[in-house]
Amino acid sequence: MDRRNFLKTSTVGGAAAALSSCGHPEAPLVRFLPDEELVPGVATWKPSVCPGCRAGCGVLVRVMEGDAEVIRNGQHGVVRMGVAKKLEGNPEHPISQGRLCPRGQAAIQLTYHPDRLGHPLERVGARGSGEYKPLDWDAAISTLVERLRALDDRRAHATLAALTRPLRGVRRELIARFLQAFGAGPPSVFELFSDDVLRRANERSFGRRQLPTFDLSRARYVISFGADFLGTWNSPVAQSAAYGEMRQGRPGIRGTFVQVEPRMSQTGANADRWVPVRPGTEGVLALGLAHVMLQRGLASASSGAAVGALIDGWDAGLPAYAPEAVERETGVAARRIARLASELAADRPAVAIIGGAPLAHTNGFFNAIAVNALNAVLDSVGRPGGMRFMPEARITLPEVRSETSTASSAAREQSFSLLRDRMRGVTGPGVEVLLLYDANPVFAAPRAWRIREALAQVPFIVSFGSFLDDTSTFADLILPDHSFLESWMDDAPESGSDRAVVSVAAPAMRPLHDTRATADVLLEIARQLGGRVSTALPWHSYEDALRAAVQSVDAGASADAKTSADVWTLVQQQGGWWTETLESSSSEMKRAAGASIRRATPRFDGDETEYPFHFLPYPSQAFLDGSLAHLPWMQELPDVLSTAMWGTWVEINPRTAERLGVSQGDLVEVASSQGRLEAPALVSPGIAPDVVAMPVGQGHRTFTRYASGRGANPVALLAPLVEPESGTLAWAATRVRVARKGRGRLTLFAGGLRERPGGVTR
Amino acid sequence: MPHRWGMVVDLDRCTGCEACVVACRAENNVPTVGEAEAARGRAIHWIRVERYVDGEFPDVRVKFLPVFCQHCDAAPCEPVCPTYASYHTADGLNAQVYNRCIGTRYCANACPYTVRFFNFFNPVWEKPLHLQLNPDVSVREVGVMEKCTFCVQRIKAAEIAAKAEDRPLRDGEVVPACAQACPSRALVFGDLNDPDSEASRLAGSHRATHLLGELGTQPKVFYLQREGGHDRQDREGDQ
Ligand code: SF4
Ligand code: SF4
Repeated sequence: MDRRNFLKTSTVGGAAAALSSCGHPEAPLVRFLPDEELVPGVATWKPSVCPGCRAGCGVLVRVMEGDAEVIRNGQHGVVRMGVAKKLEGNPEHPISQGRLCPRGQAAIQLTYHPDRLGHPLERVGARGSGEYKPLDWDAAISTLVERLRALDDRRAHATLAALTRPLRGVRRELIARFLQAFGAGPPSVFELFSDDVLRRANERSFGRRQLPTFDLSRARYVISFGADFLGTWNSPVAQSAAYGEMRQGRPGIRGTFVQVEPRMSQTGANADRWVPVRPGTEGVLALGLAHVMLQRGLASASSGAAVGALIDGWDAGLPAYAPEAVERETGVAARRIARLASELAADRPAVAIIGGAPLAHTNGFFNAIAVNALNAVLDSVGRPGGMRFMPEARITLPEVRSETSTASSAAREQSFSLLRDRMRGVTGPGVEVLLLYDANPVFAAPRAWRIREALAQVPFIVSFGSFLDDTSTFADLILPDHSFLESWMDDAPESGSDRAVVSVAAPAMRPLHDTRATADVLLEIARQLGGRVSTALPWHSYEDALRAAVQSVDAGASADAKTSADVWTLVQQQGGWWTETLESSSSEMKRAAGASIRRATPRFDGDETEYPFHFLPYPSQAFLDGSLAHLPWMQELPDVLSTAMWGTWVEINPRTAERLGVSQGDLVEVASSQGRLEAPALVSPGIAPDVVAMPVGQGHRTFTRYASGRGANPVALLAPLVEPESGTLAWAATRVRVARKGRGRLTLFAGGLRERPGGVTR
Repeated sequence: MPHRWGMVVDLDRCTGCEACVVACRAENNVPTVGEAEAARGRAIHWIRVERYVDGEFPDVRVKFLPVFCQHCDAAPCEPVCPTYASYHTADGLNAQVYNRCIGTRYCANACPYTVRFFNFFNPVWEKPLHLQLNPDVSVREVGVMEKCTFCVQRIKAAEIAAKAEDRPLRDGEVVPACAQACPSRALVFGDLNDPDSEASRLAGSHRATHLLGELGTQPKVFYLQREGGHDRQDREGDQ
């Protein structure tokens, strides 16, 4: 803000300028720093919740005085207000424990992004063109209300649908209840790197449809099948914290760590033993290890009786998984299998983890059940140093009864494939109005799913996201949400602690733009629609709804909170609610049940002679599935294994590269049965000769000035194979061919030490 | 006794996650330069994570190594600076006085750790990204060198707070941004003159080494080497 501009614009100051969506004036806590109490140069700390991934890390926001150019009541102005300066982990929070991952550190740029959408928009150009004109909130909301009334008049309630990124807690519930009360089906979720296969396998093995939590800090031996648990998978901050203790937190004890994967991940780079395995055979290797332990009497079959018995041949000691047979299938030497098995048996407690690519094969379910069985053999289930399930502390909206129906928490979700078919008119009911919240399937779903065509069939699409991306450019109306720092937030992590955790936070700063919290917008629409929708959603605001949900938790479980009002105050002070006592949840696990599961071999798309390489897309350190590619700090983060910035690359084994005549930085073409792309080659020893890998995240057609048209999108090559048990995409099951195209360009961060030139980056 | 600030990096805890890298950028107003300038080697990172890759497929070993200014007691960057912009403070910090720096870049050439970065142009924060800037840290302009300061603004703030309460600084009261973010607690900062500080205690570990210590730079950063000796035996046994 320069001085001239400052003088030109009027100053809109004071708490009176707060938007109506900021809640009741009589609410007990002051949510914004009153301007007069701001001391220049003195920081205040406020809790928040990281929106970066599903881990749900608790955050502390450093708030200081700043001059923000804002819009209030349609008027531009400068407000001296508290602005967020830095995010740290919340030390009280059981998941983040005072720490954050690199993406959590960069999440502050979501708030200050120059291309964030600051007010409602109405489409004027063709869909996908990104041409919009501004609209005021009243007009924007009535546009949507009219559309919904039209559905109501035609009794076409079921043609309303919602597609969101994975959401939990009260925000998800409000959307689900809105749909239910309107008469539509449950919301759908789209996520490229979904862990649903593992949830379903855990349901079968342990009776818990949930991702596990690992007690790494007390483990002496950890074997991970493909899980990037120190980088991008599940709850990386909590897992890394425990990993540090596993290595050096106990005098005289250093836990051993083995990683099984065909391409060395950031996590795998830390392993004591890195075991490359043929893609899709991870489950066979896990059962090979179990076989050796059972044969040698290192474990008894009964120790894992129920969970193991799901595997065909368990009672006979898994005769089909002798080391030699397993070597033929997995490519891991029989002697190495035997050695790993004896180490696992000797170094207790030991625990096995599965995540990522092994689940993303057509036999992902089998792989997961096999690793669950290995955990049972290791007797790690529910034990110190093993795996367990986080106790559930879901806060839920109270039920609302009316004469005709009861609005309660609609728990289910509609599968994304069903929604796709509905949009395309393959099955009924069709979709006439689609509510879209931050899901980006145009970018992150295989071409063969024809998402663009499906969206084109939907007469009216409303997006609530904060950015124009590959999918939201199809929206006819955009009602942008606040940033997480400007809004109430809540989340209910499913993994990462042995305590029950709910993350809740008040706004850390006032909104910069003319945006509104999506939950508040839905409640406003419910009010305007009236009837059963407004009866089912009686809350004035998201804050109201959150308070109602939080006050329903059992106050007795928390030592400091005696009454429900105490709970609400406590929750706001500490940034959430968690149980004080460590709970053992193993007793809550049910015994495994169901028919025995036979070995499933992975299927791949593409003929082996025409497409000789396995193709492995992986969540990138900087962007995960691409949803953070618009953050400049993430674009300029050197990938830790390659030092590459601002681009995409194709990882190729040196011997393969030599055979193909490819050197570092050459442009190569990667082609599958589905399409082709070009990207520079990165020659890396940490990848099997018959595998090529690419980070996911770049290649957006539209995603702000920093990510649009940058790099290549490996998802475009993926065949639409699915894991049958969960219906999720088998994103590791495509085969490709690779050819050199010419000179390319790869932007690497120099770094290095002049005195030791050979040792550093390769 | 004055403080003698130092850092211990436990390479057995470091996972290469780079939370430290982003935390440093956020705390210290380190600008991004964009792809074109990054391709010319002008990206600025006060802390980076190096990787040592050893062996060939399938016997590949990687070691991550977070590298930042080592705050050497015998710093090669200091005597070469004609304007004394690079100098040593009483509590052992290797400091850079931005308004003395005339951009000869001799210091960058003298530093064996490649941790000094030159501002080839004025930094840009596209609005409203500038609202995130830390008011405790000056923004550097074209023509000056910059590098890790051990988050001197945090050291000063803690010293002022302690002085206001008329008490000595407590161990652990000063935490640089990188160390605060580090999920696996690989980075420990503290007073090396205090034998009871956690940093001093760890610096006495049998695993402690200096980076390029043989050059005689006397760094105040200690690296605790990774363990896990039986890996080679595993390889020899199998292949
Ligand atoms: S793991 Fe990282 S991105 Fe995910 S919630 Fe935690 S800090 Fe945010
Ligand atoms: S934050 Fe810690 S674990 Fe991550 S790279 Fe930095 S030093 Fe290593």
